Amino acid sequence: MIKITWQYIPIDNNVAFLQIKQTEITQIPFYYPIFYVHVYSSIFVLLAGFFQFSSTLLKKFPVTHRNIGKFYVFTVLFLSAPSGLFIGLFANGGIYSKVSFISLSILWFYFTIKGFTAIKNRKVTNHKAFMLRSFALTFSAITLRFWKIILVYLFHPPPMDVYQIIAWLGWIPNLLIVEYYIYNQLKK
Amino acid sequence: MKKLFCLSLLVVLFSCKENKTTKNKAKAPEEKEILTELYGSWVGEFIVKERDKSKEEKEMYSNKINIVIKKITENKVIGQSIVAGNNRPLEGKMTKTGNKVHFILKEPGDDKNDGVFDFEIEDNTLMKGIWVANNPKKEVSERSFELTKKDFKYDPDVMLSEGEMYVDYLNPKTQKNEEEGEEYSEDTYRIASPAVHTINSSTQKLDESDVKNLKKLDLEILRNTIYARHGLTFKAKKVRQFFDRVDWYIPISSDVSSELTSTEQQNIVLLKRFEKYAEDNYDTFGR
Repeated sequence: MIKITWQYIPIDNNVAFLQIKQTEITQIPFYYPIFYVHVYSSIFVLLAGFFQFSSTLLKKFPVTHRNIGKFYVFTVLFLSAPSGLFIGLFANGGIYSKVSFISLSILWFYFTIKGFTAIKNRKVTNHKAFMLRSFALTFSAITLRFWKIILVYLFHPPPMDVYQIIAWLGWIPNLLIVEYYIYNQLKK
Repeated sequence: MKKLFCLSLLVVLFSCKENKTTKNKAKAPEEKEILTELYGSWVGEFIVKERDKSKEEKEMYSNKINIVIKKITENKVIGQSIVAGNNRPLEGKMTKTGNKVHFILKEPGDDKNDGVFDFEIEDNTLMKGIWVANNPKKEVSERSFELTKKDFKYDPDVMLSEGEMYVDYLNPKTQKNEEEGEEYSEDTYRIASPAVHTINSSTQKLDESDVKNLKKLDLEILRNTIYARHGLTFKAKKVRQFFDRVDWYIPISSDVSSELTSTEQQNIVLLKRFEKYAEDNYDTFGR
């Protein structure tokens, strides 16, 4: 993922994914800066998220857990999710992928803010559940790209057909797995 | 009176001009052009006759060739051969017997692929003969051909025919499989999508949305169709395998960049950008 982000340094309006987004870049005001907000902020969200599952960190350095958490929440709520919503409006693959990416960004925002308010109210179980959901969606950055390789390898579909499928396959299974996990935890 | 003067002046001027032209004609009687009905492009397949089988097979069995006859006089014939990305001037002689005209035309000899054409044109309709490479050690040292007269004209509306499938036979993706201890390899070939028959890359100004869902092979074919319409001779075998069998395609030049319309130029830029994206991203981790 870092390597993928690295392609976008230095800032250039005609690299990697942006090579096929020139229409949006020239016609939609702010598409270009907002795209970059999404790329640059999301990589940190992803990295920050990984640390938060460590119980050692939580027990030994609770302050660090809280600080990374605040960074995660702040970045998702103010940068990554809103920018994701905006670029989702102009997603490749037409209405199917647009609906997916828009719902993804709204749910991401919702789960993250719920996770944050839960811990403010000291509801640890709720906090855990919502943050797991939030990270399931954050992790779609990786699963979406992973599914793409599999689909292309197996079926060689046209690129935008792949895109419509991975738009959904990237996050729905993640969320289902997490829901199943939370459901099992509650039963205990 | 004035009118008369003008008229006489005109007559004088006119006669001067006439004198000059007659002089020119008188100057070069031996260069009188003959058999002009044979002038033009002769197009068809250029087929392997002699191949050195000890060498790795690199050259295609058949390439589309265009032999252009430009000037015929009693002592000299000037022409051009355009095939497989090579565009060579020809010079030689001809002899006429009955309804057959026999030609021996040489390529200049300063290129490693140069050779000599030896052919006959029968009844002004069929050009039949062979080509022998100057270098006898060349992988393919002899080719034969039967060409018919076909004149090139740029037509932006011609399309790849719909009944045909465009399959990239030259670049299979080989997969090694193992079944019950037995190993075998399987080749898969890329097939162009139907869009290559419906999108006209010469007349339509293409948008990103028109080409977004196309695979790399489709994008390449659409871009090269522009060049094919202008009669570019393709160096790459990969491209020739698609266009050599297209009916309207006649190789005529090795550089058509100055002939492209502005729509075509813009489409080429767009298609190239998408080709690069497809190349870098289609089957890799990323978007």
